Amino acid sequence: MKVSASDWLLLSPELFLTAAGLFILSISAFFEKAKEEFLAFLTLLFTAITIGLVAFLSGYPGRSAPIFAGMFILDNFAIFFKLLMLVSIVLTVLASIQFVGRAPYPAGDYYALLLFTGVGMLFMVSGNNLVSIYVALELMALSSYILAGYFKLEIKSTEAALKYFVLGAFSSGVLLYGLSLVYGIAGRMGLPELAKLFESQPKSNLLIVGILLILAGLLFKIAAVPFHVWTPDVYEGSPTPVTAFFSVGPKLAAYAILARIFYVGFPKFHADWGLIIALVSAATMVFGNVAALLQSNVKRMLAYSSIAHAGYALMGVLGFRTEFGLWGILVYLLAYTFMNFGVFALVVFLETKGYAAESVADFNGLARRNMTAAVVMLVFLLSLAGIPPTAGFIGKYYLFTSAMKAGYAWLAVLAVLMSALSLFYYFRIAAAMFFSEGEGAPLRSSYPLTAAVLICAVATVVIGVAPQPFVEILRACVIRTP
Amino acid sequence: MELMGIWIPILSIVTYIPLAGALAVVFLVPKERTGAIRAISTAVVLLDFVVSLPLWFLFERGREGYQFVEKASWIPSLGVDYHFGIDGISLVLILLTTLMGIIAVACSYTAISERQKEYYVLLLLLQTFMIGTFCALDLFLFYVFWEVMLVPMYFLIGVWGSDRRLYAAIKFFLYTLAGSVLMLLGIIALYFYNTTGFLGYKGLQQPPTFSIEKLTAVAAGMPPDLQIWLFFAFFFGFAIKVPMFPFHTWLPDAHTEAPTAGSVILAAILLKMGTYGFVRFSLPMFPDAINTPWVLAVVVTLSIVGIVYGAMVTLVQKDMKRLIAYSSVSHLGFVMLGVFALNMAGLQGGILQMVNHGISTGALFLLVGMIYERRHTRMISDYGGLARQMPIYATYFLIMALSSMGLPILNGFIGEFAILQGAFAKNFWWAFSAATGIVLGAAYLLWLYQRVFFGEITNPANANLPDLTVREQLTLIPLVVLALWIGLYPKPMFDVLRLPSEKIVAAVGGRTVPSPAFARRGTAPQKETSLTVGASRP
Amino acid sequence: MRDLLWLVPAFPLAGFLVNGLVYLFSHRTSGAPHPPADQAAAESSEAAGHPHAHVHLETEPKWKTLHTIVGTGSVALSGIFAFGAILDLGIPALSHGAHHLLTLWRWIPLGVNQATGQVPGPLGEWFVDMALSLDSLSALMIAFVTFVGFLIHVYSVGYMGHDAGYGRYFAYLNLFMFSMLTLVLAANFLLMFVGWEGVGLCSYLLIGYDYHKKFAADAGKKAFVVNRIGDFGFILGIFGVFALFGTLDFGKVFAAAASNPAAYAPWMTLVCLCLFLGAAGKSAQVPLHVWLPDAMAGPTPVSALIHAATMVTAGVYMVARCNVLFRLSPDALLVVAIVGGFTALFAATIGLVQNDIKKVLAYSTVSQLGYMFLACGVGAFVAGMFHVLTHAFFKACLFLGSGSVIHALGGEQDLRRMGGLARKIPVTYATFLTATFAIAGVPLLAGFFSKDAILAAVFEAHFRQAPWLPKLLWMAALFTAGLTAFYMFRLVSLAFYGTFRGTAEQAAHVHESPKSMTVPLIVLAFLSVVGGWIGIPIIRGGDRIGRFLSPIVPALAGARAEEHAAPVSLEVALMAASVAVAMIGLLLAYLWYAKGEGRVPARLAERFPALYRVVANKYYVDEAYDALFVEGLAKSGGRFLWEVDATVVDLIPNGAAAATRGAAWLSHFFDKYFVDGAVNGVADSLQGGFRLLRRAQTGRVQNYALVMGAGLFCIVAVYLIFR
Repeated sequence: MKVSASDWLLLSPELFLTAAGLFILSISAFFEKAKEEFLAFLTLLFTAITIGLVAFLSGYPGRSAPIFAGMFILDNFAIFFKLLMLVSIVLTVLASIQFVGRAPYPAGDYYALLLFTGVGMLFMVSGNNLVSIYVALELMALSSYILAGYFKLEIKSTEAALKYFVLGAFSSGVLLYGLSLVYGIAGRMGLPELAKLFESQPKSNLLIVGILLILAGLLFKIAAVPFHVWTPDVYEGSPTPVTAFFSVGPKLAAYAILARIFYVGFPKFHADWGLIIALVSAATMVFGNVAALLQSNVKRMLAYSSIAHAGYALMGVLGFRTEFGLWGILVYLLAYTFMNFGVFALVVFLETKGYAAESVADFNGLARRNMTAAVVMLVFLLSLAGIPPTAGFIGKYYLFTSAMKAGYAWLAVLAVLMSALSLFYYFRIAAAMFFSEGEGAPLRSSYPLTAAVLICAVATVVIGVAPQPFVEILRACVIRTP
Repeated sequence: MELMGIWIPILSIVTYIPLAGALAVVFLVPKERTGAIRAISTAVVLLDFVVSLPLWFLFERGREGYQFVEKASWIPSLGVDYHFGIDGISLVLILLTTLMGIIAVACSYTAISERQKEYYVLLLLLQTFMIGTFCALDLFLFYVFWEVMLVPMYFLIGVWGSDRRLYAAIKFFLYTLAGSVLMLLGIIALYFYNTTGFLGYKGLQQPPTFSIEKLTAVAAGMPPDLQIWLFFAFFFGFAIKVPMFPFHTWLPDAHTEAPTAGSVILAAILLKMGTYGFVRFSLPMFPDAINTPWVLAVVVTLSIVGIVYGAMVTLVQKDMKRLIAYSSVSHLGFVMLGVFALNMAGLQGGILQMVNHGISTGALFLLVGMIYERRHTRMISDYGGLARQMPIYATYFLIMALSSMGLPILNGFIGEFAILQGAFAKNFWWAFSAATGIVLGAAYLLWLYQRVFFGEITNPANANLPDLTVREQLTLIPLVVLALWIGLYPKPMFDVLRLPSEKIVAAVGGRTVPSPAFARRGTAPQKETSLTVGASRP
Repeated sequence: MRDLLWLVPAFPLAGFLVNGLVYLFSHRTSGAPHPPADQAAAESSEAAGHPHAHVHLETEPKWKTLHTIVGTGSVALSGIFAFGAILDLGIPALSHGAHHLLTLWRWIPLGVNQATGQVPGPLGEWFVDMALSLDSLSALMIAFVTFVGFLIHVYSVGYMGHDAGYGRYFAYLNLFMFSMLTLVLAANFLLMFVGWEGVGLCSYLLIGYDYHKKFAADAGKKAFVVNRIGDFGFILGIFGVFALFGTLDFGKVFAAAASNPAAYAPWMTLVCLCLFLGAAGKSAQVPLHVWLPDAMAGPTPVSALIHAATMVTAGVYMVARCNVLFRLSPDALLVVAIVGGFTALFAATIGLVQNDIKKVLAYSTVSQLGYMFLACGVGAFVAGMFHVLTHAFFKACLFLGSGSVIHALGGEQDLRRMGGLARKIPVTYATFLTATFAIAGVPLLAGFFSKDAILAAVFEAHFRQAPWLPKLLWMAALFTAGLTAFYMFRLVSLAFYGTFRGTAEQAAHVHESPKSMTVPLIVLAFLSVVGGWIGIPIIRGGDRIGRFLSPIVPALAGARAEEHAAPVSLEVALMAASVAVAMIGLLLAYLWYAKGEGRVPARLAERFPALYRVVANKYYVDEAYDALFVEGLAKSGGRFLWEVDATVVDLIPNGAAAATRGAAWLSHFFDKYFVDGAVNGVADSLQGGFRLLRRAQTGRVQNYALVMGAGLFCIVAVYLIFR
């Protein structure tokens, strides 16, 4: 296999980001005194540059060419996810300043790990070959395990890391087993080749089992029932900015490869995996919402809420070979990234103000103490509950439509009822913020955090009120299925 | 609207004036300057009302279809437009909204003492959303207003309500939301039926649109079974909002716990959303479903049960607000009965009764709020003999109670007459069982009146209550005037309602299937009904 | 002049507005305790312990002169314009069918409609107009309504002169005049219904005039609600008419019905019975009679005007007005006749044993109204209207007389504490006696002719459905006539003859009423003598009223229309019979009560205690209704349903909850949240259920792995099995 210059060029974002990570690592290693703000700034800078690269590549004529003989591909789909994931990294960094700084741990490792995770994710969404995908996934996973345990002196954090690692290893095993089964039958790993091959071959149970194992491995990453069990503990234990990141970044990557593998790799068996995904989606949204109802711990509640949202999102994969295709899930993930991160960012805000943000009570009277924060939080909650005119509504609308279009009306009915139900626990926070009397002085937020929150808020509202440009762009980003 | 050659988007202006006012209050006025906040809010709602008045005068009675139409593309990739326009039905409801907006603000001066800034901001937002709902001619836009409307009301109840406000607020929100999400699915299904089809239904392959006019035509052409499904998808959304028996249990809680202005708006406008939805969507969209005997039977039975049941439950209430709330259940039952009589008399009566209920019940909540401000109790047993101490208050209360129980030359009578006339024309027993509600209505209202106003003043706390202030009377007088006007000369109303009603009746009533009893009489319904259609089309 | 007809109701309306507003704002309170005037009123009326003891009050009501002038003046003016309009049309013309329709404005346009249900009606533009019409029937009504009304207003000036609520009283009275005139002048059913409800409202307000007294307020409410039951029927009847004829205009409806009876006959029984229910409610016919006796809680002039002369006869007026429809339905007429006859007898028996002077008159009113319906029932609508007229005169006179007595005795209404008043208040006595003779049917007085006309009609009537019925009804009516004479003269004897049985204080205080009260008495007494001469039978051309009303009400219509003229001999015989019966009644009453100080009746009461108790307690009808409807149906029914509302209805959301719960293994939480409301039900129970699942979420990593493994297995298994 010969490697051309364009291959390197097309992978430049990933390569650059790797370099950036190493650079930051070395800086923090050599200069103990390096200020956290400075490192954060560097991280932002590098991420911004990477965004620039991706943006440049998106306009680069020769990008449609397969990279490394089809190991990777840089289609619109990949570009959209790369941009979104890089934005999520930016947001995470903004939310981390101060939070990480006050902790007695070297900030350099933190940001470097963040970037390495990013690298893994970027590779994942470009992956066009089961092997490359798996490797990228492992890269992402390993660095995120460490991120989860970043507060190494705190039991919860280390525990979270351990659980995440063990269960992650388990799921990787499952995934790998699935891959090997498929490889054993097909004898090749490239997704398009697989598709081409299966067109002619009859389907065998063994193959289906392999596919299902792959599916299970990916469902773990997006925390779908029954592979969600790790989520609450990990989300609760990890440093909150990391939790915010987990709830968005890695999930994006997971959705992306899930879609790519099954749309590009196994289109022939869509009836089979479609049904399974529908069932899983139903189970996930029911379980997530119902479980969230009972949580008094905000982080756990949000963990379950993100499980529920994983359930909704899976509906977006069902629209196979309808005019909707992956459009729904793309729109939804765009909205989800901002609203969900926004909520966690506000939890971070409370934690920096010395609240554990454990119980809902910590939000009591927030409206009295920082009206802006309360209103913004309300916007995110409404969006999560899918009340118009917010991004969440548009996103859910697309999901419902693709489910209906795909013929899963029962799933759509279940979904709308569940999202109505979800309002109950979201608005427990709203009620706490606005109805109950909070004591204490007004709360001021740090600038970076404010920036992060406002970015999310603006995005949430703008996408909700004027979705047209976004949805039009995303329409161009779906994977064209044969 | 053309004015001196310049085109003015008057509907948008009417809709967004309160929003602008709200933003102004948010960003310009510090929350300590309560006086300024009240002044601005009052000015805004007054302005809004004044601006909305031209609608009434410039509205062309004789013209078919929607007027003051504004249209702009919003989400082209879905076929969603920003599409405003009104016909007679929405016209009266919009005017009612702007008027009630003034009253809601004016009645809050003394009632609301804390967190005034947020309060008035929410009130103004609510008004924008309500007007928008009535203006929207795009189903998607309609849905957006319809749902976002819940948010300010939730906070109005939750922050400024009384003891069980939290429960009432979330119950209100969840109940209505649960209904409307099903409606959303109905909308999506409609969308697909128009475009590429779904669930094995062959779509019409037309360009995607949410235009209410277009989709109405599309829906009316759907196969009956699908119509029935979609009818019920919409039905839940609307019936919960109305609220129809047995979906009404959120109403007493919300009404009872909400602050006065909240109850007034809730009763006067929000409940009308449901009935408006039935008139605007269900009737013209799903004629075959509605004319399916069992469907019609279900809806009408629920309405009549609501009338009688509501009245019976009202009779035994001990809390004034709760009493009036339950009476709303009964009144809205009348409206529904009229609407589903599927003839001109019933439909026009039903729409008029929406307005009447807004006026009468709104005023009653207002009056209860006034006495509550003085005594801080809503328990009927705490009062008695007020007529001696507060003759003017007693007089207003009597007038409004009479209008609510449908006494002639007051508004309520016209509506109830038209509704029952329509129901009678359809089926004797509908009118008969519904009319019992009138007797009960007189019973519970007079009993309430007697317990509150008659007898000696037993409770010393009532011994020197001040009578109504000028401000309070100013909030009531417009309602009294309206009540008398509609009672004595409702023709202007009917003139406005006639054409849209004819359109709807032609769409749905035209295919009236005879009630069994009529079939037994052996007169041929087809001939007559075809007559109806022909005659209703000018 | 005729086009100023609208002024007839307009004047009283204006009077109402002026009086009402002036009173309201002159009594405005501002935080201070009750204004002195009202307080005094309250105390004084407490002191006397009777509803109308305002005589002790020294303070003059505020703005009295204004209220007097506006109150009486407005009625006088409307009376002038009423007579003006009548004379403008001309009485001869009227009696030959001339009528004037004055359409004020298009009231309720209902668009193009079609009765598509059970009632086949013509397709067309349905609308109702604000329109007044003047024909002979309404002319008759407005004539005596304004006249009697005016007299009673004048009387009230003296009677209510010291009441603090003077202005309020006159406001209500004017409002009543407005409503009553609207009722009789209405050109269509719906406007008639407007007046109908209006008079009901005024009666509610005036009965409950002393609203601070519980029994007054209760009586008012009772009157209104019972009337509402009647109106329920009336409005249904109106719906029927509208649906059948496509219009509510009297002229059009009756023309259509007359032109093509066969088409409408099948529906008429239903419609007419509905209408009659309304009439029965307004005119206190069994079983809806219960409100009228209680209505005596109102001031006496009110009882005279509303509950004797005018409002209660509205029912008869309505039936007479709709005689075309009623004649299409023999069954309906039969019902009317039976109800009327029964009521007449029933109420008369109760009247025998009442001791409250006004209660006696009240039951007598009910009984007389029964007479009128009896007449209508046998198709003698003219006789009915005739009796309405004469009854208005003598019954108003009687009530005002009783008012004068009460006034003289400082609020005393109990016959047992009266007696020997004849010499002390001669004018009152004379007039009262005249009216008594009139109602008793003493020859040549008003009551004689009208009552005789009715008896004759009943005797000659016959029903296909029940040939034996007329004779039975006739006997009942005749007996009733005797009872009437008896209890009326019992009343006279107890009040005016014998010795005074009240307190010395009262005895010292007794005085004749002022001119403003006696003059109306005299006028009415005079009318109750001559009032009947417009309807003298036998003599050719004696039946003027019959001819006057003939355009609206064909004389002695119905089944017997063909052989109209009954043999003179029979007429005379019937007259003789009724006179004889009346005389017996008078005589007995005189002997037992005036001469024998009521020993005989006392002994009778001892002889048949049970019977006496039942009659004295008005056959326990009130108690029965209260137990059955008020407490039974309405209240406990309501309470029950409220329970249902709190529990079962909230189940529907709870049902949704239950479904979710089922998913979360949660039967035992069901009961706990069964009763409680929807939403929190869902949430809490789910929470409860998830405690179980939380146990699964133990945080032990191997459990998690286990769960995931199990899940994976399930997925694969599910697929492989259900593929």
